[in-house]
Amino acid sequence: MATPAARLPAAAALRRRGASVAFARALGPDYRLGYLFVAPIVVLVLALVAYPFGYAIYLSMTRKYVGVPPVWVGFDNYVKLTWDGFFQRAVYNSFIFTFGSVGVKLLLGMAMALVLTRRIRFRSFWTGVLLIPWVAPTVVSALNFLWIYDYSLGVLNYLLVKVFHVLPRGVGWLSEPGTAMASVIAVNVWRGFPFFGISFLAGMKAIPAEMYEAAAVDGATALQRFRHVTLPALKNIIVIVVLLSTIWTFNDFTIIYILTKGGPGGATQVLPVLTYEIAFGAQRLGEAIAVALYMLPAMAAVIIVLARYMRKGGAR
Amino acid sequence: MDQRLRHLAEQLDTGLIARREFLRRAAVVTGGTAAGLAALRTMASGQPKTKLRVWLFKSFVTNANDVLGRQIEAWAKERNVEVEIDWATFGDREPKFVAAIEAGNPPDLAEMHIMGPTRYKAVLRDVSALAGDIARGKGGLLPFAETAMKIDGKFLAVARYSMTTVFFIRRDVMETKGLKPPKVYDPDVVEFARKTQDPSKDLFGFGQTLNRSDDGDGFMENILWDYGGGSWDKDGKPALGTAFRAQNLKALQFAVDTIQKHKIQPPGVMGWTDVSNNEAYMAGKLVTTNNGASLYYAMVTKKHELAPKTQLVLTPGGPGGSFVGSSCYNWAIFAKSKHADLCEDMIRWVEDEKRFGEYLQVSVGQAGPVYKGRVDNPYWKSDPNFEAIVQNIVRSVNYGHPGPLTSAAVEVRAQHILTDMAGRVVVGGLSAEAALKEAHARVEEIHKMRRT
Repeated sequence: MATPAARLPAAAALRRRGASVAFARALGPDYRLGYLFVAPIVVLVLALVAYPFGYAIYLSMTRKYVGVPPVWVGFDNYVKLTWDGFFQRAVYNSFIFTFGSVGVKLLLGMAMALVLTRRIRFRSFWTGVLLIPWVAPTVVSALNFLWIYDYSLGVLNYLLVKVFHVLPRGVGWLSEPGTAMASVIAVNVWRGFPFFGISFLAGMKAIPAEMYEAAAVDGATALQRFRHVTLPALKNIIVIVVLLSTIWTFNDFTIIYILTKGGPGGATQVLPVLTYEIAFGAQRLGEAIAVALYMLPAMAAVIIVLARYMRKGGAR
Repeated sequence: MDQRLRHLAEQLDTGLIARREFLRRAAVVTGGTAAGLAALRTMASGQPKTKLRVWLFKSFVTNANDVLGRQIEAWAKERNVEVEIDWATFGDREPKFVAAIEAGNPPDLAEMHIMGPTRYKAVLRDVSALAGDIARGKGGLLPFAETAMKIDGKFLAVARYSMTTVFFIRRDVMETKGLKPPKVYDPDVVEFARKTQDPSKDLFGFGQTLNRSDDGDGFMENILWDYGGGSWDKDGKPALGTAFRAQNLKALQFAVDTIQKHKIQPPGVMGWTDVSNNEAYMAGKLVTTNNGASLYYAMVTKKHELAPKTQLVLTPGGPGGSFVGSSCYNWAIFAKSKHADLCEDMIRWVEDEKRFGEYLQVSVGQAGPVYKGRVDNPYWKSDPNFEAIVQNIVRSVNYGHPGPLTSAAVEVRAQHILTDMAGRVVVGGLSAEAALKEAHARVEEIHKMRRT
């Protein structure tokens, strides 16, 4: 008969075996091999996403100037930003810029898709032409618009004043309060609507023609067919495209930085440009990261909604 | 003679070895030595050269950039050093420094903006001996340059040149109207602009943005000083909305009035970037503007029709005097560099008067003097327009004036606080008082943070 002392290791071995069997039952017989297979991607994600993200959160809670070690300040940066008028304006402008752009892109993208589903001449050619803004590098587009909007030398004022005589004199598109934000939104719309259009076009082509025929037989008008056939069929695509575009537009830096640098007087200041300015202009890295992370919860909510929709789409 | 050959010769003389044996052994010794030397030579040339990373500033004066690049390559060849040159222009210079410093991988040597030594003092090498030596050889530094390069009693950079701004005037228009160059902004520039402009022909009297840009920030800084104000008092404490409130308010109001009341500026001026006034001036749409010599360089090198019709004069002033913000490009060696001696040698090489003269000749006024000895260089007499450049440089003052040049003063400039203040009035619809109060709060905040 085994002594109690000898029974202890045996009991431990049994427990380990029991756990192993339970794992095998839950995760499959090859679960050890599974760990091996997922290990590289886990390491990669930890190294390239989790570590930098964690470090960014840490830095946002420090006072960090260039070339000197960070000093822990807790939530000071976030608290200070909350009450900072310039930051508040940047948040407000970011929402105006994002929702203004996305709203117009949605309408134009839908119009583009509807036109391109019709039997028009040179449809492929027009599809290609309409994709140019999406394909062109953002920097090139923005620099072109900088010239287009120029008061004295820009082509827009030239056309409106001298060619079409629509206006008595030119407009300072990027310099006046009423037009600066609208002008940068217009560039974002110009660049982004083809993505909406081409995505909707793909969705519309997948709608069975029989559905339109059945609706037409039932006496539905074109508007009713659009409302009761096209829109419901495109619902998932619309949600995904809008959410993706919201994330991209919210984080858009290039267009505003090149056109206005957030000016004049902060009229077009948005969070990405503010982050850049605090990081590289003021060289206060901790605060800059706090600006970037401040809106993270809102963006995370958007991403969660998007991910859910995409998963649901995949399940169907 | 080789010891072994001598020994063989002695053995031959004393008859210990035959002549044939002597020749055989001598051939072995000589051949072996020659082969060994050849192998050593191959090994020596196979050793990797010392590598130096140098970051240079890519200015708009491209001919000068080319000269500097060639000079550094010539130095590298002479010293058998491999130099990796990287260029950074106005927009990407500071982000590059920040990224490199934070990554722990800065270059060995960099050509920096005047803000550099103050901003990066924690990671720069003390070059007091070199800077002092070079300055002594050139008659000493001009006061603003010495203050900007010497941080906490140590030189952290070697001054190179000053890229100042001057007042550009269309001389042909001025002469047609029988006018003289304005001395102060109010009323001289205003009246000058009113008399010369013709908005119906898209010709405006004055082109000066108050938007976020080097041009806008520089003008706002100058105009506060011109009215006897400024962002800082002489002790380096915030004074924008306190000690100098009255003066600053007048200055801000004048800046805004050039657009809103006097209407001497083009309607789109608040959306301008640093190149906009250059383009507008060269397109013949402005009678006057403030700009660096790069505009003159562009006109001269392109043989632009306005080059001979342009007169450069001292920047106008105001009731408190006439002020110009300083500029001082410089050489800084990073503390991490393992080749500081080579860096210092390279700085001496390019700052040698003959080589700097070569650079100066193609700069068309951009490489202004920072050393007293260079002020009297005959080059500055070669074009009547250079007189204003030199005089503006000599009288220029640093960020933080009338107080010291501090990190906070540098940040206020870098954060566009003053142009934002003007923009809040012109575009945001705030009163001058409200905008000044708002800007002062930002200056206070920066001062507080930089102090702790």
